[in-house]
Amino acid sequence: MQITPAQLSVRNVRKSFAGKAGDVCVLDDLSFDIKERDFVSIIGPSGCGKTTIFNIIAGLLEPDSGSLQFRGEEVESLRGRVGYMMQKDLLFPWRTVLGNVLLGLETRGVDRAEAEDKAREYLKDFGLAGFENAYPKTLSGGMRQRVALIRTLIMDPDILLLDEPFSALDYQTRLYLEGVLKDAVETYHKTVILVTHDIDEAVALSKRVVVLSGRPARVKIVHDIEIDAPSPIAARSDNRFSGYFHALCAELDIQTEKTS
Amino acid sequence: MPDTVPMAKRRALRRKQGSRFDTPLGRAVLQSLAVLVFFALWEFGVRLGWISAFLVGAPSGIFAYAAKIIASGELISDTWYTFFEAILGFIIGTIFGSLLGLALWYSVFVARLVEPFIVAINSVPKIALAPIVVLWFGTGLISKVALSVSLTAIVALIAAYQAAKDADPDLQSLLVSMGADKHQVFFKAVVPSTLPSMIATFRINIGFGLVGAVVGEFISSQHGLGHMIYTASSLYDLNTVWVGLFTLMIMGFVLYYVIEIIERTILPWKQASTVQQVQV
Repeated sequence: MQITPAQLSVRNVRKSFAGKAGDVCVLDDLSFDIKERDFVSIIGPSGCGKTTIFNIIAGLLEPDSGSLQFRGEEVESLRGRVGYMMQKDLLFPWRTVLGNVLLGLETRGVDRAEAEDKAREYLKDFGLAGFENAYPKTLSGGMRQRVALIRTLIMDPDILLLDEPFSALDYQTRLYLEGVLKDAVETYHKTVILVTHDIDEAVALSKRVVVLSGRPARVKIVHDIEIDAPSPIAARSDNRFSGYFHALCAELDIQTEKTS
Repeated sequence: MPDTVPMAKRRALRRKQGSRFDTPLGRAVLQSLAVLVFFALWEFGVRLGWISAFLVGAPSGIFAYAAKIIASGELISDTWYTFFEAILGFIIGTIFGSLLGLALWYSVFVARLVEPFIVAINSVPKIALAPIVVLWFGTGLISKVALSVSLTAIVALIAAYQAAKDADPDLQSLLVSMGADKHQVFFKAVVPSTLPSMIATFRINIGFGLVGAVVGEFISSQHGLGHMIYTASSLYDLNTVWVGLFTLMIMGFVLYYVIEIIERTILPWKQASTVQQVQV
């Protein structure tokens, strides 16, 4: 194991929600580290609290106990420093593509002309030049999610939190966007935490995969993925791919072979 | 039996159903025709003695009277008077109510605190306030405007508050994760997402604005279409009553389309969807 300092440490985080039958403990003493320029996927059974982790990191929820450390310093949350992307593209329907991309820079109070120049440049890089004044409603799902990705990247966040960003898209679009994401992350040197249900996606994209146990969520195991492929599609044809895939399926107790 | 009509034939059928009248001009012709037939039947009914001109008036008399008071300028001044009261009441009431309703988004505590009071005020039939309003504000313009405000403000308040509550929480979370403060969330996410239902409120409130003005004039007034209708009906002058009613109808109609134009200007992003309709 190489020793690189963690960019983000999640330490002993607990969180429970009030439910009908008393409190439901969603996260119980959860800890993990994210390194600089890491690409970590978090997988786990449905409803194990993956989104809750993100909401705590992004500062949308407060943990009951535990702490976050960013580059060694204790922080309340990473609000304003993360780029949060969800399954829904969450484009503002009343804003044009350009307006949506500018959203984050506006809240930060960046000079308008400067922000617009930057936004147009990003749109061009992601093949969306000419769509600046289109409303989200008129775009395809893949294009909308690309706009959402630009909106996230343009803020230059320290960490990207991607909560099943491609799960609502068809398979071809998903493959394409995985490539776009991987390229963007390498170009802009970003750290990524990706929550996904898609084991295949997790293996193809990540450097590490964190497997969570069912509720309450604890880290079950962390797998290092040593596939050095130029693209997510190439990663899928790597000879180690299926090994990782089956190992993760087994961790998640998914039956991969007929029970004899 | 299963639906076995081939696609091509079905398409032809659909075209036939829509017919060649299904164009803006075709529809306008059909609509005008319907109005003409209506007045013609009415007039003939009166001439042939089927219906009593004393109780329902007659189109010929209505048009003759309308022409007369248009020429004398009386109709214009009455219309203007009522229009001014209604629009003033509408604007003040809608703006005041909407701002208050939106402001309630800021504090869940205050919103919950005042909710029963809003419901209570809303459940009073505002028309019942008319006599007091006249007592307080006199028989002039202000009492009619006040009545219109009381009708429109509460509707706008409830609609704005509800719309603000319904604003997509995910959009708000996204802004918060970007580091936005409460004001930014309010102005960038909440206010824009309430606009469609605000415009819908405008449509309803244009009607309420007119109700306030006309009822105010019924109670006591020297001017306006409500005054005209009320005095004429007490004299059994049905033709005059109809002139007043039709003028009010036209006024409401025009205002409705003015709101439509405002909607198109404020909500360009809504337009793409309103055109489509599911073909059955």
